Amino acid sequence: MKLSFLLSALLTAGLGFATTAFAQDDSLVAQGKYLATAGDCAACHTSDGGKPFAGGLAIATPIGNIVASNITPSKTDGIGDYSEAEFARAVREGVRRDGANLYPAMPYTAYAKISDADIHALYTYLMQGVQPVDVAAPETKLPFPFSIRASMWGWNLLFLDDTRFTPDPARDAAWNRGAYLAEGLEHCSTCHTPRNFLMAEKSGDALSGASLGTWYAPNITSDPVHGIGGWSVDDIATYLSTGRSDHGSEAGGPMLEAINKSLSHLSPGDIHALATYIHSIAAKAGQVAPGDTAQAAPLDDDVALMNGTASAGANLYADHCSTCHQAGGEGGNGLPALLGNAALRRPVADNVAMAILEGLTPRDGLANSQAMPGFGQVMDDSQVATLTNYLFAKLGDAGVQITPARVAALRAGGAPSPLLALARDGMIAAAVVVVLVILALLIWLLRRRRAA
Amino acid sequence: MPQTLSADIVVVGSGVCGALAARKLALAGASVLMLEAGPRITRDRIVHNFRTSPFKSDLSKPYPNSVFAPFPDYAPENNGYLEQAGPYPYLPQYLRVVGGTSWHWAAQAWRFVPNDFRIKSKYGVGRDWPISYDDLEPYYNEAEILWGVSGPPEMAKYSPRSQPFPMAPVAKSWLEQRVTDRLAPQFEVLTNTCGRNSRSYDGRPACCGNNNCMPICPIDAQYTGGISAQSAEQAGVKLIPQAVVYRLEHDAKGRITALNYYDWNKTSYRVIAKTFVLAANAIETPKILLMSASDKFADGLANSSGTVGRNLMDHPSNSLAFDVDEPIWPGRGPQSPSSIQQLRDGAFRSEHAPFRIDFSNSSQVASVTAEAIAEGLTGKALDSAIRDRAARRLSIKNVLEQLPDPNNRVMLGEGRDALGLPKPKFSYSFDDYVHRGMGASTAAYEQIAQMLGGTNLKHSKPGQYSNNQHICGTLSMGNDPTTSVTDSVGRAHDHENLFMMSTGVMPTLATCNSTLTASALSLRTADAILGKL
Repeated sequence: MKLSFLLSALLTAGLGFATTAFAQDDSLVAQGKYLATAGDCAACHTSDGGKPFAGGLAIATPIGNIVASNITPSKTDGIGDYSEAEFARAVREGVRRDGANLYPAMPYTAYAKISDADIHALYTYLMQGVQPVDVAAPETKLPFPFSIRASMWGWNLLFLDDTRFTPDPARDAAWNRGAYLAEGLEHCSTCHTPRNFLMAEKSGDALSGASLGTWYAPNITSDPVHGIGGWSVDDIATYLSTGRSDHGSEAGGPMLEAINKSLSHLSPGDIHALATYIHSIAAKAGQVAPGDTAQAAPLDDDVALMNGTASAGANLYADHCSTCHQAGGEGGNGLPALLGNAALRRPVADNVAMAILEGLTPRDGLANSQAMPGFGQVMDDSQVATLTNYLFAKLGDAGVQITPARVAALRAGGAPSPLLALARDGMIAAAVVVVLVILALLIWLLRRRRAA
Repeated sequence: MPQTLSADIVVVGSGVCGALAARKLALAGASVLMLEAGPRITRDRIVHNFRTSPFKSDLSKPYPNSVFAPFPDYAPENNGYLEQAGPYPYLPQYLRVVGGTSWHWAAQAWRFVPNDFRIKSKYGVGRDWPISYDDLEPYYNEAEILWGVSGPPEMAKYSPRSQPFPMAPVAKSWLEQRVTDRLAPQFEVLTNTCGRNSRSYDGRPACCGNNNCMPICPIDAQYTGGISAQSAEQAGVKLIPQAVVYRLEHDAKGRITALNYYDWNKTSYRVIAKTFVLAANAIETPKILLMSASDKFADGLANSSGTVGRNLMDHPSNSLAFDVDEPIWPGRGPQSPSSIQQLRDGAFRSEHAPFRIDFSNSSQVASVTAEAIAEGLTGKALDSAIRDRAARRLSIKNVLEQLPDPNNRVMLGEGRDALGLPKPKFSYSFDDYVHRGMGASTAAYEQIAQMLGGTNLKHSKPGQYSNNQHICGTLSMGNDPTTSVTDSVGRAHDHENLFMMSTGVMPTLATCNSTLTASALSLRTADAILGKL
């Protein structure tokens, strides 16, 4: 198959200016552009306000900023001199044209599943459909020992499974298409699958929910209580394309970013395929919420608010939240209800606190695209904790609470990593350092936070 | 010796005009200090105050008033901060808080029409501006992008645009749809251009029609000076609240050398800077200039023309309320959604004042309930009257141009505030140009009422006009230093390092809410300070 595509590329090159080659390239460019959206390449390789794919976005990690590279066809500063084989190696094996390793900021472990045909389309798009930008992205400068790119060799040995996606003949085409997208370009498990002590995905608990350090990626298996077993394929499809579900779920954080930039641009057929695959995931309970939800009922603080006896949480809710979510928390007019909201039934309170801190901004044009503003500038850690705890106690799982210290950690982008200090002090053997590098980068990978 | 602070540039006032210009100056690398007489406030606190206040109709009431930086307050009774010399009382509302008066407004973000800049040469009335619409156009764009302005493309035929509106217009309420459809084509009703999000913009959500624009948008879908002040601080501007400026100092050549302010304990501070900017609104700014009188400038600073505080203008309004022959459901969507532009300009301006006609979409429940109770209705009759009238009541009013008149002015009054500073005092009146314009307005209202099958028509009292808090003219810009306070970029004719950013610099006020024009002028003044003009 690979040979045939190389052959076709050679043929195309050989045909030169033949019009049929142009027609073929036009459709390949369109296909490649679509796949680049599915893989969300621009999320990292296009900086805010920058030229498309010119890189420069600094991605904060616990060990320093990793800067996304220029992947325009610039011969001086981009990938203009890459052959298709070199491009494929970079995307699927994490090795640059000069032989240096990429940091797994580039999700090549997932992209390893991408077919040769799709690599060909991606390559054609980036070479022919993107304007070259002759401006170098700043170099990534991590401190020693993370500065040694060769250290990724060990990581790859452990975690890179460089095999293409293999269809399951027992499943239909939609399921296989969905599995291909989910495991490769969309890389769902990167966030939703919990990790073992070496930070490798626990394949036995696939997609049963995991913390990204800040946001919590929930259980998306078919567990009827802890997962999304109650959702139909159509429910999942609606959520993936809009970020909203009638089951009381609204996407936030990295999931909303994936929906804004990637999933909401996919074809209905691919969304249906993804939903078909996700709907089939074997049920796993994962990390379980206490289930202390008996008291959940509409808020009823009107009189206390007017006579001044309401709790601090009730006042915060009334003054900041109730205009949209309504006095009782039932939502309405397209704005989400908090009573019965999935975020208030998670095993941890992080997503509620993160939504309060950062807000949720669906991209313009999505159905129900009303944004929730962030309150990080107007509420302190203690107020965010008080409000979060009030919401869980009144509307959600009363067994889940949060401390101001945890809010402070969330505000700071998650718990700080001890890796850097350890490595700098030279208190550990080189082998341990390699493992720590692996850990650090995986932690970063999980977090995928943009630098401010 | 008082404690001394210093900066490259000091800006007095933290409202939309001063704050956005301060932000621009800081981003250009200047060290900028911004002083605000009032306190910091937060949106949630104002929402809380409004919900728990018995004075729902008073738009200033939820905002904290202080004896140290007082502002006018009329409910339940006049607090006496503004003194009146007559013959007509001038009763504006404004706020002295971080972010300024635009905390409570409808965020109307109008551009002038080009002829507004030349009514003297074109129509023989008022005065011409020293600049043209084209000079200001790029700054209108700059301000609109910073605010996040939404508006209909059709508006460009009145106020030409080099760039589209940052956002599409806010969705039309039912009231707006019905009024627009039924008055066409005789009257073209357009959705207002305003600092109100029709989509999420700059981290703030889209308007979802809480109908609570005044006194406070509860979700920040509406732009306010509070956001301006926050953006200035994020750009590196140092903001000191509760700093009441009471005097500027100058050297022998007239350059401003320092200013003095009191904190709320009446401790005095001195600030030295290279450039001084007064952005403390069109009443408090003249007050500071007049309070700074010295031996060399006995009539106050920047006042060699004698026009500081004079040519005070605002938009007087008359109104008509009536019941439409179908339910139009006011109270859903923005409070001030749409208006008629076609009477803002024309040859008639040589005879009578031009005006815009505004449709109110504020909830009518409180007023029709009071009305029905006053009529003695009770029980089911009261209930059905409320339901019927609240669904059909329509209020329309105008925004009418008053011409500059040197006898309309703000002065220093006799009374003192808690810091011992003089209260503002006004002399104010309306001329026949205004009265004739009101007559033309009333004729248009009646035509509109007839087209909407109106009954139960209630005109406002003839000769009694409500005020719109668009305080202009007291620091007028002009090319002639004998008839104006500031030059064409907002610099004081008399002091080369003193600039004004305020609706006060506007020589005329046209037929639209003044803040966008003043904000654009202020961003232009910032360019002048940066040596770019």
